[in-house]
Amino acid sequence: MLAYLQNIAVLFCVNAMLAVTLNFIMGYAGIFSLAHAIFFGVGAYTAANIAMHFSDSLLLCVAGAVLVSGALSMVLALPALRVRGEYFVAASLGLQVIGVTVFSEWKSATGGLGGLVGIPPPTVFGHALATPGEFLGLAAGGLAAVLLITTALLRGSFGRSLMAIRDSESAAQAAGKWVAAVKTLSVAVSAGLAAVAGAIYAFYMSFVNVEGFMLETSILLMAMVIIGGTGTVFGPIIGAALLMLLPPALTYLPFLPPSELGTVQQIVYGSIMVLLMMFRPGGLVGGRRKRGKA
Amino acid sequence: MLFIQLFINGIQTGALYALIAAGFSLIFGTTRVFHVAHGATFTLAGFVFYELYTVLAWAWPLAALGAAAAAAVFGVLVDRYVYSVIQRHEAAFFTVFVASFGLAIVVQNLIAIGFGRGLVTVPTPLSKSLELLPGLYVAPMAAVAVLCAIVAFGLLQWLLTHTNLGLALRALGENPELVRVYGLTPRRLSQYVFLIGSLLAVPAAILTAATSGLNPAMGHHIMLISIAATIVGGVGSLRGAAVAGLLLGMAENLSLAWIDPQWSEAVTFVVLFLFILFRPGGFFGRAVTS
Repeated sequence: MLAYLQNIAVLFCVNAMLAVTLNFIMGYAGIFSLAHAIFFGVGAYTAANIAMHFSDSLLLCVAGAVLVSGALSMVLALPALRVRGEYFVAASLGLQVIGVTVFSEWKSATGGLGGLVGIPPPTVFGHALATPGEFLGLAAGGLAAVLLITTALLRGSFGRSLMAIRDSESAAQAAGKWVAAVKTLSVAVSAGLAAVAGAIYAFYMSFVNVEGFMLETSILLMAMVIIGGTGTVFGPIIGAALLMLLPPALTYLPFLPPSELGTVQQIVYGSIMVLLMMFRPGGLVGGRRKRGKA
Repeated sequence: MLFIQLFINGIQTGALYALIAAGFSLIFGTTRVFHVAHGATFTLAGFVFYELYTVLAWAWPLAALGAAAAAAVFGVLVDRYVYSVIQRHEAAFFTVFVASFGLAIVVQNLIAIGFGRGLVTVPTPLSKSLELLPGLYVAPMAAVAVLCAIVAFGLLQWLLTHTNLGLALRALGENPELVRVYGLTPRRLSQYVFLIGSLLAVPAAILTAATSGLNPAMGHHIMLISIAATIVGGVGSLRGAAVAGLLLGMAENLSLAWIDPQWSEAVTFVVLFLFILFRPGGFFGRAVTS
C-alpha cells in the first residue's frame, strides 16, 4: 500500500511540474501550447541518453536535458512570435505530431516504439538513488524548485512584462518592452523546466517510450491547467492532483468493468473540461473572473 | 504502375479530405469557432452508418440518411447548448476551443465503449477492388468519392452564391455586427452553418467506412487534417480548403513512393508549420494573424 501511494505521489509531482510549467506560458504569456508533452519527452530522452552513454550524475543529466529542451523550444517560439490564437494552437499541434513521429522513428536516440530500457539510477554526489522514498524526495524537490523558479520570475519585472504582453502586445511594445525577447525567454524557461520533469520521470521509470509523450499527454496537461485555473499559482497543482486521483478513485466504483477504466476516465475529464468552460471558465481556483483576451 | 496506383488513391483520399475540410473551414470562417469536435461529427456519422447498414441491415440510402441526421443533430446541438452558452459570457477563442476538445474526447470514448477500440469495416458491393490494368487496383468507391465531392461542392457553391441564406452566411463571416444591424440573428445563422458544415462530413464518413474502415480514435486524424487544410488553404476560403484538402490527400499517398508511411503525417504538418510561419493567410485567404 505504501509503495502504491509513493508511486502515485511521484507521478503527481512529475505531472504537477509539467502543469506548472505549461501554466507559465499559457496563463502568463498567453501562449496556448499543445506541444508541451514534446518537451517532457525531449527531457526524458536526453537524460536517459546521457545516463546510458556518458555519466549517471543527476546534475549533469538534468542540466543536459534542460539545455537541449530549451534550445529546441526555439521551434515553438518562432510561431509564438509571428501568430496568435488559433494559428498558434494549430502550429503547436503540428509540432506535437512531428515530435511524436521523430520520437518513434529516430531509433538510435529514442529506441523507436520499443523505447529505451535499463536507464541506470542517477547518482547525487556519488550516492545512487534507488529506493522509492528517495525518488519521492527527488520529485518533491523538483516540484518545489520549479514552483520557486516560476513564482520568482513572475513576481519580478519579467513577470510583469509577460503579463503586459499577454494583455496587449502593442501597448507593451509601446512601453518599451522587448516583446520578442520576453516571449522567447518564457518559452525557453517553460520547456527547460518541463525537461526537468522529463528527466526525473525517465530515472524513476528507468524506461521511456513514446507512449508517454503523445498528443493525449499534452491534452491531459492542458486539462490540468484549465481545470485548476489558468494563470493562478496553485491552480495547476490542484488540477494535477484531481486528474491524478481520478483513475485510482474510479477503481473503487464497483460497477465499472476494469477494461473500460481508461475510457471512463477520459469521458470524465472531457466532460469536466466542457462544463467548466461553460460555467466557470477561470477554472476551480480562478473563479468566475474573466481571463485575459486570447 | 505504383505511381498511378498512389495517384488514384491520393485523389480518393484527397476528395474526402476536401469535403471534411470544407465543413470545418465553413464553420471556422463564418462563426470563428475552432470546431475541433468536427472530427467527432465525422466519427459519429461513420459509426451510425455502420450500425444501421451492417449491423441492422437497413437499405443504404436509409442508413446514409440516419448518419446524416446524427451528424446534423450533433453539430446543431453542440452549437446551441455548448458554444452559444460560452460565447454569451466569454469571447476568448481558447475557451470555446477547450470545450470543443473536451467534447471530442467524450464522443471518441463513448464510441469506444459502444463499438470497441478496434477497426470496424463496412463491406459493400462497391468496396471490392477491381484490377483495371495489371497491378492497378481500383475500387468503384473511388469514383463514388470523387463524384460525391463534386456534387457536394456544386451544391455548396450554389447555396452560398445563389440563395439568401448563403448571402447571409457569407456576410456573417465578414461582419457579424452588420448582419445584426441588417435585422438578422447571427445565432440563428450560426445554427445553419453548423448544420451545413456537419452534413459535409457525412459523405466522407460513409465512404471512409466503406473503404478503409473506422475506429473510434480516427477523429483525431480528421481534426488534424481539417485544421491543416483550412489554414494552408486560407481561412474563409472554401475553395482554398478544398484544394488544400485534395493536395494533402495526394501528398499523403504520393509521398509513400519515397518515404515510409509513418512519416506521411509528419510531412503534412511540416507543410502546415511552414505555412503558419511564412504565409499564415494560406493560398487564398486574407492575411489574418490575430
